[in-house]
Amino acid sequence: MIEVKNVSKKYGKFYAVRDISFTIKDGEIVGFLGRNGAGKSTTMNMITGFIEPTEGSIIVNGYDVDRKPKKVKEQIGYMPEGTPLYYDLTVKEFVTYMADLKLLPRKERKTAVKKAIEETGLEKVQNKLTKNLSRGYKQRVSMAGAIVGDPKILILDEPTVGLDPKQVIEIRELIKSFRKNHTVILSSHILSEVSQICEKVIIIDKGEVVAVDTPNNLEKETTENNVLRLTVEDENDKFETIKEYISNIKEIKFVTKNDDKSKEYIVETNSNEDIRKEMFSKCAELGVVILEMKKDTASLEDAFIKIVEDRPEYSEKEIEKQEYEKELEDLRKEITEKKEAKEFKKQAKKEEKARKKAAKEEQKASKEASKEENQEGGDK
Amino acid sequence: MLAILKKEFKSYLLSPIGYIFVGLFLLMFSIFFMVTIFNYSVLNFEYLFINGATILTFITPVLTMRMFSEERRNGTEQLILTSPRSITSVVLGKFFAAALIMLITEACTLMYFAILKYFGDPSLMVALSTLGGFFLLALAYISFGMFASSLTENQIVACVLTIGVFIAMWFLPNMLPALSPFSLINIFDKFTQGIISIKEIITFVTFTILFVLLTIIVLQRRKSVK
Repeated sequence: MIEVKNVSKKYGKFYAVRDISFTIKDGEIVGFLGRNGAGKSTTMNMITGFIEPTEGSIIVNGYDVDRKPKKVKEQIGYMPEGTPLYYDLTVKEFVTYMADLKLLPRKERKTAVKKAIEETGLEKVQNKLTKNLSRGYKQRVSMAGAIVGDPKILILDEPTVGLDPKQVIEIRELIKSFRKNHTVILSSHILSEVSQICEKVIIIDKGEVVAVDTPNNLEKETTENNVLRLTVEDENDKFETIKEYISNIKEIKFVTKNDDKSKEYIVETNSNEDIRKEMFSKCAELGVVILEMKKDTASLEDAFIKIVEDRPEYSEKEIEKQEYEKELEDLRKEITEKKEAKEFKKQAKKEEKARKKAAKEEQKASKEASKEENQEGGDK
Repeated sequence: MLAILKKEFKSYLLSPIGYIFVGLFLLMFSIFFMVTIFNYSVLNFEYLFINGATILTFITPVLTMRMFSEERRNGTEQLILTSPRSITSVVLGKFFAAALIMLITEACTLMYFAILKYFGDPSLMVALSTLGGFFLLALAYISFGMFASSLTENQIVACVLTIGVFIAMWFLPNMLPALSPFSLINIFDKFTQGIISIKEIITFVTFTILFVLLTIIVLQRRKSVK
């Protein structure tokens, strides 16, 4: 389990990541989604212990990254952004070196390296220098370096960038195959990829976590109206009159006229009711031929854009203002606390004075009493 | 540490840098060897190493400038720093790999001793003292070069910084005698006279340890600045 608690990373006055918290359970495949510069890589780098958060703590399987970095790093296989490799090593040497760095025992190293190379499909190029490989292969070498030795947690920073479609599918399948035994965190700005592979999506924008949910839920949440896309052959221009027959239709938008004289329309409905059957029969009655009809659902893409764009835009000045206000509040708190402390001290002093006085008086009284007793004794 | 030492040493030999360093040193050393023998008729092994120290001042960055700068620029530092290896073992691994190359270079210079031995009678003890001192000087130089490399991702900057500081340490004591205890080359001269004193050894060793430690600290602190 990975717990990220109130983590911030600040560069000067700029927050790269601001007060983010989330947990990732064992065996989950989680996608970090966000625009360029949203803070995905920074967050990943903080989990791997490569950079230190300014505030907050990260706990990986019970170990704090800051206090027990070795224990944490042993469990993580990391594929950094931009696939850094040692270019003077061959593929096999590189993967062996990574296994070596991960403190794999000598006996297991050979089989682990072989397994990693097989899993990433690098057998054919294993004796080539990494600098001579194509980008897709470099990516795979980087991946092999991350998975060698079967770490429990895999952190992959944009694993499919720059691959050809076939390679992308292969890498996705590979990542899916990790599902059983590994926790996987991957970042991407390709939404379809995330919705295909991941069970959970964490959307990060401007250094803040905006949404944590399954891809399906995110899509559902952002679907508002039912939208139909139609391509029709409509020689008598009767399609637009269909509004009169179907009450649920809110609006019919004409999109374009194609070369073959068919027309495209977008039909919006008021409720979530499916009107496709009705549409089909009414069109047949009116002599409109439906060439294509498709129900439009919101994709993760829409969800993402909606979530990100619905957020209030903070300018730097506003952020500064917020910070200033926070500081002021802290100061006020401090002052009131000090005042309270002072008053408390005063009270305590007063009480002690009163107590002393009482004690003195008691003493006096007892002294007098004893004097009297003595006198009485003397009198006798 | 051994894993990193092994890989770094291999890198020196796979990329031409190791060969360039050894080759360059031996080439210049040979030129000095020839000049001292034919122009000055001096048959003196330890005298050669005074020139050797000069050469070392200028070519140490060949070994050291890429140590951390290159890793930082290529992003491979993410690979080592996110591995369970400690920063100390990374630094020491790289340091000893460079030291090993230095040791090979010195072993090569033994052939000049063999040549001199064939024609004359150089003192073996003084030669050994010189070689020992030269190795200590090289370690001190490497440690500083490594430190410079950890400061920047630009290899040229690391190189210029290293040579600049070495030259300053060499010439400043001539102008300000108060600084003479910091002149590594002057300290090394004692070894070429066959004098092995604890003071000189300690100076070299502490200089080396200081900059190895500083490198470790720089890399550790970078975690929070990056």
